[in-house]
Amino acid sequence: MKPDAYDIKSKIGVVFQDVAVFEELTVYDNIDYFCGLYIKDKKLRKQYIEDAIELVGLEEFKKFYPKQLSGGLLRRLNIACGIAHKPKLIFLDEPTVAVDPQSRNNILDGIKKLRDNGATIIYTTHYMEEVEIICDRIIILDKGKILATGTSDELKELAKIEEKITVEINELQENYIEDIKKSKNVDEVKYTNSLLLVTYTKGKNNLVELMEYLKENKIKYNKIYSERPTLNDVFLELTGKELRD
Amino acid sequence: MFIHNFIYSFKTLFKNKALIFWTFAFPIILGTFFNMAFSNIENSEKLNIIQIAIIDNEEFKNNEILKKSFEELSNESNEERMFNTQYVTEEKAKELLENDEIVGYLKVEDEEPNIIVKESGINETIFKYIVEEINATSQIVEDIAKSEIEKQIMAGNVNLDYEKLYENIIEEVQNQEVNLNNISNSNLSYTMIEFYTLIAMACLYGGIFGMVAINQNLANMSSKGKRVAVAPISKLKLVFSSVFASYLIALIGLALLFIYTIFVLKVDYGNNLPLIILLGITGSLAGLSMGLVVGTVFKTNENTKTGILIAVTMFGCFLSGMMGITMKYIVDKNVPILNKINPANMITDGFYSLYYYDTLDRFYFNLGSLLVFSCIMILVSYISLRRQKYDSI
Repeated sequence: MKPDAYDIKSKIGVVFQDVAVFEELTVYDNIDYFCGLYIKDKKLRKQYIEDAIELVGLEEFKKFYPKQLSGGLLRRLNIACGIAHKPKLIFLDEPTVAVDPQSRNNILDGIKKLRDNGATIIYTTHYMEEVEIICDRIIILDKGKILATGTSDELKELAKIEEKITVEINELQENYIEDIKKSKNVDEVKYTNSLLLVTYTKGKNNLVELMEYLKENKIKYNKIYSERPTLNDVFLELTGKELRD
Repeated sequence: MFIHNFIYSFKTLFKNKALIFWTFAFPIILGTFFNMAFSNIENSEKLNIIQIAIIDNEEFKNNEILKKSFEELSNESNEERMFNTQYVTEEKAKELLENDEIVGYLKVEDEEPNIIVKESGINETIFKYIVEEINATSQIVEDIAKSEIEKQIMAGNVNLDYEKLYENIIEEVQNQEVNLNNISNSNLSYTMIEFYTLIAMACLYGGIFGMVAINQNLANMSSKGKRVAVAPISKLKLVFSSVFASYLIALIGLALLFIYTIFVLKVDYGNNLPLIILLGITGSLAGLSMGLVVGTVFKTNENTKTGILIAVTMFGCFLSGMMGITMKYIVDKNVPILNKINPANMITDGFYSLYYYDTLDRFYFNLGSLLVFSCIMILVSYISLRRQKYDSI
């Protein structure tokens, strides 16, 4: 795309990771300024601005200056500035970084609304739980390379993990841990802080079998629960667990 | 789109407190300090006639300009008399200085007037200032005389009437003397050059607005620039409307400074108002263009760029006489090219020539220099702006 591809640019909205607003302008004026770079018609623009303000829930803060807003509200303003002109393709770069849970919910709800209104959204994030909530298709990138693409379920299939079972046991001897490790389909066993975590690569009756083993050996436990692998597990599985810069 | 961006650029720049301080408030505060400091000097100068001596040697007697100037400035019948001058030998002058009967004495040696004072004070400074002023003026007259002789020779007039020419020069000198006399005792004599440099400073500070306006439109300089870069609008159109807004604000700041100095501080810039305004507008353009270059060429943050602009402006004003007119003469005499390319000096000298000279040649030369300077700066920023491409924003 060339810099003067204005027809294409007019259909795109970008929400940068850094908050990019004018400190000297009110919430309303900020949205008006950026929306005005796309929409010339004043009447239409006014309607678009109102829609954007409603979408991000800033109705009560129209006349506030950015420095008067909390981090979450500022992020919401940042989004409103990027999407007020109702683009068909929206790029959102980590819009929920360092925001409170309420603002995060609001932002995610807003994104869903944009999606429901027909916009295509490319959402960049490190928060896998957000991906699970809002993304239809996922691309896992590492160091500029695509590692995996697909839906949430498709990606989970790629992971070696099938099930994770957590058991709260006050005391567990080493020989039991070794026994469990030798059980069918077990990939990994960890016992720390009175919690036993058993990861299975496949199988459907893993929970029942583990409970039976504990009963047979008269091992008392407080809680036991099973989980499906999360996208976070998939991400760590694909990109490695070592710390990054 | 142009008007939309212009209005919002105007709003954002006008509401930027740091910018408004440096460009609007700081020159006014500095002007007030100048006024307070120099009006004290002048008040004390008006009350006291300064006791001086002049070594009455042959060199002084042959220096018509100095001789006549001090005769006039020491004339008892002159209401604006400044000095009580004794014409004595060097021994006598030293004795008078030792006994604190005079603040200093003048000795012309190797065609250079030298001031000998015992200590530094207001009277000593005034004495020194006046001699420098006379010296500078005599050099100007000398230049005029030289160019007159060259003109006559070029015109084929080989039989020059040197006596008549000499009389003309003397007449010119006497006119200068009248000027000097008026300058030295008029209400704002010592502050005039300071106020000219102050206006120059305000003009060049306008460049900060230009720099900020440019930064707001560059994707590699600000977050807002990134957003603007992805918008379906020509970058040149955006930059031009932002720069136009910043120029307008700079002119408003300059107008306020003029109003404040004229009506509150009672500074007299002369009678040629249209040319004063023209010089102010052109000076601001030069300042703006300097800001554009700093904004586009330097790849650093906004605060550093502001620092660069302030430092360059202050250094330029210093060279053109903000901290004492002597510096302007020193630079003019030893490194004239420095003042020829110094926009602060072009503005200062423009006002100076407008106030002190009957002809407008020097004024227009300065005005032209400012326009050439602005064009070069704008061209450099344009080229720099056109070359900018971003791998990633």
